[in-house]
Amino acid sequence: MINHWIFRCRDVSYLISRSMDQKLPLRTRMGIKFHLMMCDLCLRYKKQLELIHNAITKIEDNEVSEDLITPLPDEIKKEIQDKLEK
Amino acid sequence: MDKYGDYLYSYALYRISDLSLAQELVQDTLTAAIEAKKNFKGKSSEKTWLTGILKYKIIDSIRKKYREPVFDSNFFESTTTADNFDKNGKWKTGPAKWASNPEHLLEQKSFLNIVKQCLKDLPKRPARALALREMEGESTRIICDILNVTRENCWVILHRARSLMRKCIEARWLEEK
Repeated sequence: MINHWIFRCRDVSYLISRSMDQKLPLRTRMGIKFHLMMCDLCLRYKKQLELIHNAITKIEDNEVSEDLITPLPDEIKKEIQDKLEK
Repeated sequence: MDKYGDYLYSYALYRISDLSLAQELVQDTLTAAIEAKKNFKGKSSEKTWLTGILKYKIIDSIRKKYREPVFDSNFFESTTTADNFDKNGKWKTGPAKWASNPEHLLEQKSFLNIVKQCLKDLPKRPARALALREMEGESTRIICDILNVTRENCWVILHRARSLMRKCIEARWLEEK
């Protein structure tokens, strides 16, 4: 665990991710907040992770779009078909 | 099979990024669907119904059949995102600006497509962890159990997954713009 009161960008990038999975101790949250007040890059990093989270949730609701369809190889299709007919 | 095979396969693939497992799951889904056909009441479309079964199979397979081997320390080495930072822990090349109005990105199909592509390209273990966490909303406790790692490692894997996703999206998005 990271015990310094003053966090470095490397630690903060990890803690930002971790805060999305777990409620961090107050002390840690304050440390992150303090760092983000001074560090635009980490703030941007945090916003991008949140955006990605929202994007993933959003595509989950959507269907797989046409251009991303990966065809199932024909021989596998045949194999499955054969098994299904049994 | 001919009608939905490709669709189900792609759906599975971008969640688990494992070719042979995806094929197996499509087969399981179709088998289950045929057996349960009489229960299908046409309330939803056939596609939605099949996707629902597949989704269940995916979670189930991750949970039961494909327990990962015990965590090895070599893997941990490669999971650290240390090369993004200098020896003082500062960004070497920080995250770039994606748009003047990042919230609008969510409305752009081209952006969402990049997110999908990047999900598909993630290495297996981070991809699985992220799919469970972000798509199925599983707690890290369950994810750690499935991946057979300690909680600390689980957070590291998720951190790595997000960091890789971010990098991938950034590269593709800025290239496209």
